[in-house]
Amino acid sequence: MSITIHALSHSYGADTPVLQGIDLRIKKGSLFGLLGPNGAGKTTLVSILNTLVKKDSGRVEVCGYDLDSQVQKVKACSGYVPQGYAFYPQLNARENLEFFAALHGLQGARMRRRIEYAIEATALEQKALQRAYTYSGGLKRRLNIAIGLLNDPRVLYLDEPTVGIDPQSRHYILEVIKKINRRKQTTIVYTSHYMEEIEYLCDEVAILDGGKVLLQSSVSELTKAGRAATLTLSGQPAQACEGVRYEKRRAYVDLSRGYDTLRRFLNLLEKERIEVLDMQSGRGDLEQFFLQVTSERLRDG
Amino acid sequence: MMLGYIVKKEFTLIFRDIHALLVLFVMPTLFILIMSLALHDSYSQKMEVKFQVALLENGEEQPLAYTMLMQKLRQSGTFHFQSVKSESSLKELLYQKGYDFAVAFPADFKQRLQNDRESFRARFFARSDVSPRQMALLKGLYSTNVSKVLLEQVLGSLGVSAAENDIGDRIESRYVYKQNDKGAKPTSVQQSVPAWLVFSMFFILIPISNTFINEKRLGTIERIRSIDVSLWPILFGKFLPYFVINQIQVVLMIAVGYFLVPLLGGDRLQIAGNPLHIALMAAAVSFASICFALLIANISKTTEEATSIGGVSNIILAALGGIMVPKFVMPEFMQEVTEYSPMAWALQGFLELFTRAGGLSDIAADAGKLLLFGIISLLLSFYILQKGSR
Ligand SMILES: Nc1ncnc2c1ncn2[C@@H]1O[C@H](COP(=O)(O)OP(=O)(O)OP(=O)(O)O)[C@@H](O)[C@H]1O
Ligand SMILES: [Mg+2]
Repeated sequence: MSITIHALSHSYGADTPVLQGIDLRIKKGSLFGLLGPNGAGKTTLVSILNTLVKKDSGRVEVCGYDLDSQVQKVKACSGYVPQGYAFYPQLNARENLEFFAALHGLQGARMRRRIEYAIEATALEQKALQRAYTYSGGLKRRLNIAIGLLNDPRVLYLDEPTVGIDPQSRHYILEVIKKINRRKQTTIVYTSHYMEEIEYLCDEVAILDGGKVLLQSSVSELTKAGRAATLTLSGQPAQACEGVRYEKRRAYVDLSRGYDTLRRFLNLLEKERIEVLDMQSGRGDLEQFFLQVTSERLRDG
Repeated sequence: MMLGYIVKKEFTLIFRDIHALLVLFVMPTLFILIMSLALHDSYSQKMEVKFQVALLENGEEQPLAYTMLMQKLRQSGTFHFQSVKSESSLKELLYQKGYDFAVAFPADFKQRLQNDRESFRARFFARSDVSPRQMALLKGLYSTNVSKVLLEQVLGSLGVSAAENDIGDRIESRYVYKQNDKGAKPTSVQQSVPAWLVFSMFFILIPISNTFINEKRLGTIERIRSIDVSLWPILFGKFLPYFVINQIQVVLMIAVGYFLVPLLGGDRLQIAGNPLHIALMAAAVSFASICFALLIANISKTTEEATSIGGVSNIILAALGGIMVPKFVMPEFMQEVTEYSPMAWALQGFLELFTRAGGLSDIAADAGKLLLFGIISLLLSFYILQKGSR
């Protein structure tokens, strides 16, 4: 395991719990998607893993190091790419990289090698000597990622690295990330609002909403599900039913192996005297699923 | 090594910030030039600005006493006297013909003067925008010279030559300095160089808040914090470049006063004090201004906010601190208020060294206050930063 999180909770001030009992296991070398709407707590979770925010409770291990007692080791194996353009717009890419490399304690040939790698991995060669404020959105995003590679991290956190750029640049960045993951078996933790990005990029996903993990699953398993039905119920069934997942008063029925599951579930509802208020079915792609599981309340943005 | 890159980065950012460069270097240079030249005459003995005085003529005859009085009045550097036939009205003279003053004598003035009879009234008129101080000066000039003429008449009638009795010629004046008597005369440049130097040093606020707030806003600080690097090189790397910039300002503004101002016809800046003491004072001012800038950068959310909060507070501190209006022309209660502006401490310290030839003991109190001010600002910023990142 690259990262294990157990019963992690955090709140900003007494009345605003942001993370409530998070449990996650992220495999070494995996491309892990952290999906959630605005305010779900993605940035907070990533900040905790990067030792920027102190958690209230829970146990976390990163690369086998304990987050509380081995902070320096955790920092050394982590690369963090913040949500904003966290560099100096008045400096060019190379100057930015030099500065952050120096902060990592790099110098001389080692510094040069790491910088070359970061530039090459993010394909910044053409614009390395141009000041960053002149860059397009996609290029800025790539520089942002490049800086995160300088310490040759075993885990790279990317907080919404495709916000505000066009589809072509977005696709390019996803390719860059795949390449980084493949070349050095770097574990990638990737946060996003977009299901389709995660579907394309990741092999494992966790859906975060309201500070809780609604689901952790492999992406292939989720998409394999094929058809699915979503039922809105008058109450939540007390009994479990194979092939059906409950989320409060919503149930998601796997239809990939025919309608047996649905029939069994409807029987169960009958027994428990629960009414079906609404039923929808369709291709169970992740986007739809994501919308379904998180549509309980309206978001801010 | 790491520190080198941190310092290099900060310097690069400053030198690519055109607004900061304008405010830090061009603005004070212009202020020093303008103020030194503009106030040149209000400090110097020979005034180049002349006030025009119209003497309203009555009668053609020119008795000796009257000619003598005119002669004496015309020797004054400040006023330019001209006899005017009183055809034009008073208002015309003052508002259209370019006179600042008009003096009207009684009809029998010339005879009375000639016959040493003092009991006559002269009426002085001034344009409404002329300062009362100039009016007083003119009246003083007039009355001493009338007395002189009358005295000379009396002495002349007793057969004594009055030429050597001019008291003014027998006054010797000299400025006294605290430590050495190298003699820097109080000229306008002596006041304007330290004043605008202090003002511009406090504007280090602009680049500091620009970089710091952008670091906060863009998440660069978070990124730096996520790296395993100790606080000290970061802090030191932030301090050192701005400190160096402040010292460059000191050298540059002294050079402006020494080379540029005289080139444009002003007085040359003279430095009476010890250069080492000036460097110490400059260090204290720099410390205070950087810490103050960090505080402002900390309490502001946007660079616009920092620029306006910082700019306005700097201007208020400057107005209170005797930067814009020299402290010695302020009324007493304002001079007391001045005691609470860090810019006033900075200016007093520099003036001690620049013009009064003071030593270490003379700047100790002001430098100490500046250091204290800096430390308090710094502690406040740390406190705010801690609270924010909880
Ligand atoms: N420093 C803070 N102080 C107080 N509340 C905060 C702070 N940072 C975040 N929050 C709150 O915590 C919740 C989770 O925020 P977080 O930034 O982790 O969400 P997110 O999933 O990253 O959202 P987004 O998709 O908009 O980036 C939000 O309700 C937010 O308002
Ligand atoms: Mg976020």
